[in-house]
Amino acid sequence: MAIALRGVRKTYKSDHGPVEAVAGVSFDVADGEFVSLLGPSGCGKSTLLMMLAGLEAPSAGHLAVGGQPVAGPRRDAGLVFQDATLLPWLSARENVLFPIRMMRLREEAYRERADRLLATVGLRDFASRRPAQLSGGMRQRVALCRALIHDPAFLLMDEPFSALDAITRDEMGLVLLDLWERSQEPGRRKTGVFITHSIREALLLSDRVLVMGRRPSVLTADVPVPFPRPRAPGVQDTPEFTAIVARLRGMIEHNLRDAA
Amino acid sequence: MSDLATTPVAAAPPARAAVRRAAIGQGALRIGLPLAFAAAVLGAWELLVRLYAVPEVILPAPSAVAARLVSAWPFLLTHAVPTTLEALGGFLLAAALGTALAVLLAYSRLARLALYPNVVFFQLIPKIALAPLFIVWLGIGSTSRLAFSLFIGFFPVVIATATGLAAAPPEMLRLCRAYSASPWQVFTAVRFPYALPFVFSGLKIAVTFAIIGVIVGEFITAQAGLGYLILFAASQAETALILAAIAALCVVGLALYGLVALAERLVLARYGHR
Repeated sequence: MAIALRGVRKTYKSDHGPVEAVAGVSFDVADGEFVSLLGPSGCGKSTLLMMLAGLEAPSAGHLAVGGQPVAGPRRDAGLVFQDATLLPWLSARENVLFPIRMMRLREEAYRERADRLLATVGLRDFASRRPAQLSGGMRQRVALCRALIHDPAFLLMDEPFSALDAITRDEMGLVLLDLWERSQEPGRRKTGVFITHSIREALLLSDRVLVMGRRPSVLTADVPVPFPRPRAPGVQDTPEFTAIVARLRGMIEHNLRDAA
Repeated sequence: MSDLATTPVAAAPPARAAVRRAAIGQGALRIGLPLAFAAAVLGAWELLVRLYAVPEVILPAPSAVAARLVSAWPFLLTHAVPTTLEALGGFLLAAALGTALAVLLAYSRLARLALYPNVVFFQLIPKIALAPLFIVWLGIGSTSRLAFSLFIGFFPVVIATATGLAAAPPEMLRLCRAYSASPWQVFTAVRFPYALPFVFSGLKIAVTFAIIGVIVGEFITAQAGLGYLILFAASQAETALILAAIAALCVVGLALYGLVALAERLVLARYGHR
């Protein structure tokens, strides 16, 4: 299902008067497309994602998913946050099944799928462990599986790897790339929106990168990613990859200079 | 190659055993040292009382208290029963009503604005001073002691539980909202389990407060109970009996606290963060 935003604004009330977090953003994400929103921290990217998930209402503008305006929380979205936000007293498997429980669906019907997802991200032997017994990267893998358990039409990710160390982070990028490309079945393609401030991560994972400026955020560039899928990890070492990284970095630095 | 690789691992077990030995040594120190210190204080007490021939009315030796404890045992037991039951009753009511009010505070903004500052106010005032009022209102029977014990055990439960119910990470609650979980589901699956460690720290305070409440009530008016016995023994200048009753009270207090601590262990083994 496609996503369309037209002139979306979000203003918060604060003690110092209204604060504009998102200032008139318009873009489209095609059905089955993976798009990254790239920008510095605190540029209103998270607010944008919360509005897409239907967890916050825009102050102005129009937001539609699959042709329908977003009116409230959508069950067909999978969410991943910066922190894994797992329930500490549940096992990895129970955490993956948590959305099923909250949506009052039959857990037994999804148990096998939960184990399959955990195996895909290399956690076959850790399904019964609690979060405290898992590393940060493993916890975030559990969160990815949890977001995919009900086979959502959208995957919305808010800087899911930015709390991890650099090595784990690179590894998680490849895990997500693999998970994403495997889950794109013909006839039932997922649409992904990925928020990040890592240029390389955005480029590795996306079909298109949207560059955002400082708060209040506006879109400053729309860059298509030319690498075909399925992508191999080696794509990151090609000269084209390095060239696009440099171009995107130039755009972000330009935005920061303008804001200063 | 594999032999080489496993060599350091093979060397590890003795090191691990040494670590375990050190841990056992630490444990013995942690239990043995306070016991040894307490024994030393009792020994010094016994020695000083004998050395300076302190009259038993002023301060009986620990051995004299122990003798009184043995001789008055059935008597102490009889008086311990009403004290224990009233404290237990007061505590259970404080736990139930305190949790109920905390849930109301967590879910109703109006109730929170109206009640929470007042709850904090009552938590801060010396509630012991209100004990005579309970006798005036509820009479000299066990009802007034039960009610007073409930009253002073109630506030720590409310405050700890209300704090705990606000402890769930906002992103977790957002996730529940995204999956259209009902408020009841969010409460039972997320908010209350997150509150449990707080609930138990409140309950542990409440159980000690509940005993204090009953004793104060018995000091004011009662025909039985350990508080009554302490006051009675004081009027007869039976200092050894006072101390024996206090020892019995310690046992009651430890037993009730132990029950709560045991419940905490069992519940947090399931809902803990490890």
